[in-house]
Amino acid sequence: MKYRPTDEELLDAIAELLENQVLGAIPPALQHQVRVAANLSRILQRQTALEPAASRAEAGRLAALLEMGGEDLPALRAELDRRIRAGDGALDEAAVWAALVATARDDLASAKPGYDAWEGE
Amino acid sequence: MADLAEGLAAFLSKEWDRPVEITGLAASSAGARRANVAFDADDGRLVHPLVATIVPTAAIQLNPIGAEAAVRTLARDHGVPVPEVVGWSEDESWVGGPFFLSERVDGETVPRQVLRLVDQQGIGDLVAHQLGQAMGRLHSIDPAVAPPRLLDLGAGAPAERALAGLEAAMGTLLEPRPALSLGLKWLERHLPPAPPTSTIVHTDIRTGNLIVGADGLRAVLDWEGARRGGDPMEDVAWMTLRMWRFRNDDREIGGLAGRPPFLEGYGVGGGEWHEERCRWWKVYGTLKWGLGLAAQAAGHLDGSFRSIIMAASGRRVPEMEWDLLMLIKPGR
Repeated sequence: MKYRPTDEELLDAIAELLENQVLGAIPPALQHQVRVAANLSRILQRQTALEPAASRAEAGRLAALLEMGGEDLPALRAELDRRIRAGDGALDEAAVWAALVATARDDLASAKPGYDAWEGE
Repeated sequence: MADLAEGLAAFLSKEWDRPVEITGLAASSAGARRANVAFDADDGRLVHPLVATIVPTAAIQLNPIGAEAAVRTLARDHGVPVPEVVGWSEDESWVGGPFFLSERVDGETVPRQVLRLVDQQGIGDLVAHQLGQAMGRLHSIDPAVAPPRLLDLGAGAPAERALAGLEAAMGTLLEPRPALSLGLKWLERHLPPAPPTSTIVHTDIRTGNLIVGADGLRAVLDWEGARRGGDPMEDVAWMTLRMWRFRNDDREIGGLAGRPPFLEGYGVGGGEWHEERCRWWKVYGTLKWGLGLAAQAAGHLDGSFRSIIMAASGRRVPEMEWDLLMLIKPGR
């Protein structure tokens, strides 16, 4: 049983350290890497908050699509992947597309907020 | 750097048959694959501003450096803006690896700075037109005059060959990614006709590989992946991908401009636009880049290229999945 800070709060502290103190104190050649590391901390911070609900929603979508039980998300993903690759004609193409768009939106909410605002080509 | 200056001085003195002094050596950009070093070469009469592009070892080259130098010269002779190559060598003893030297062209190359300059000067449409024209000229070159050693991926339809490459790359994913599989399936089902003539293609023309000045496009860089036997729409489509727009999402051509000025320039340069093939190569390029990001993450994880940047690439895969899904929307 963990005490505070929570995972999110710790990731926030790591990002803050990298952004506010480390970045200004290191040679230019390292700055890009440290910026990337700080951004990864921010990604994990968002993911910690968002992933549990996103995973439940994804499992629900895939279970409905594949008419399977909704417990094991990796197995559901693997099965969808297998059926797409096999060209399974029983899959509803539009429904598959919509389910994958919803998952990509959830992934981007952690990894790159705002990226899904552009729905064009 | 002292050794590098000596090596360059010795090479140019031999090449130009008079003593050459090297000054102002400065690494301008060091990619993972090769280094670009700016310097001035003083031959006693003139000071030549040059760039040395040095491959750490011949083993990682896509094209032999002599073929890259030759295709640059060929493109330049056909009116494509490319910095003039003034010398090259595949002898690794001069500077520690194969290299070529080219004239140094001033201007912006870093994407955000390019886009800022273009906005300040109001030249987005102009640069897109110039770029289209440059590509049209490149694609009009008779493939028979391509440098003999230029990469040639063999006979057969370019799209089928490229698709086979992606299928192999899909097999190396560390976890299933249904969105990428859906993209692959789309490519299989929509294989386009072969181009009427296969052409020399650059394969990496994008914002980031251009030099742009206040007067417009000055140069197309980074010809290391050029090859023969390509579909010209591969180059055109690569330039339209969202990842080169740097937040200017509504400007399809590298964040510079929309499609019309680019297409017009392409026609003026002698290129023949083909919507269906371009569309296919756009989906192809998006999936290819998604798989490239996945491969970078794998390279970090298996220890072949430990780097926080390569690791972070794994979290960029959903960006490509999103772009891919938007491109293959059913019923579109």
